[in-house]
Amino acid sequence: MDDPRAPRLVETVLRCYPARWRRRHGEEAAELAALLIRDGTPAISVAWSYLAGAARARLTLRPGRYLTAVACALLVAACSLGVSAGLLASAAPARAASTSQAPGRAHCRAGSPAPVPGMTPAMSRPQVIIWEVGHGRSC
Amino acid sequence: MSKRDGRAGQDVLRRVGEASVLILISLADGPKHGYALIQDIKQLADVELGPGTLYGALDRLERLGLIEPLPADDRRHPYRITAPGAAALRVHLDSLERVSAAGRLRLRLGGI
Repeated sequence: MDDPRAPRLVETVLRCYPARWRRRHGEEAAELAALLIRDGTPAISVAWSYLAGAARARLTLRPGRYLTAVACALLVAACSLGVSAGLLASAAPARAASTSQAPGRAHCRAGSPAPVPGMTPAMSRPQVIIWEVGHGRSC
Repeated sequence: MSKRDGRAGQDVLRRVGEASVLILISLADGPKHGYALIQDIKQLADVELGPGTLYGALDRLERLGLIEPLPADDRRHPYRITAPGAAALRVHLDSLERVSAAGRLRLRLGGI
């Protein structure tokens, strides 16, 4: 190993693995890294491979933890829905107040075009009828 | 592709990744430890397995019962392929051969 920092780098990265993994593979993994670096594999490449492996080892679910993980995921989903519903509920009165301030408006904004000549209410779609009576929300 | 009957004929290696299949192929001719596996796979398939990938695949294969560790030789832990591992490898290689043959045939038919 030419670079004296290489063993320390690998050692640091190996600490990212779960303790159970380190007890089982730790010494062999350090020796394997030393052999690979001696063969010419860059130390950074070895360290990166171990770092990705450590991330995978931590993310891999063991059978006993599966139900806990599912329960946590459901809880997070329920909380997200609750927060969204709360935000919608708090925004609804504000919207209602803003629409009730302009009940008599003929059009949505000044200078809006008049209804298309020749279009009878029977031909028009429901949205046009609402617009004609000046409902602010159709904009 | 023929219809499979039960778990015995299923290709369990379809979703384990290339590294796991290469490890099984390398272990098919005898037990090996990590460094020997990396060297053998490099020769066999011209693939350089990273050590992190190697240990991840070894753990997965062991969980699936396709390989088993042997008593440690100093710091090194050799692994060997189990009977279900050998059967799974055979099924997977058969499947690859069928797909490969179909691909070659279609290339010929397509005149490419």
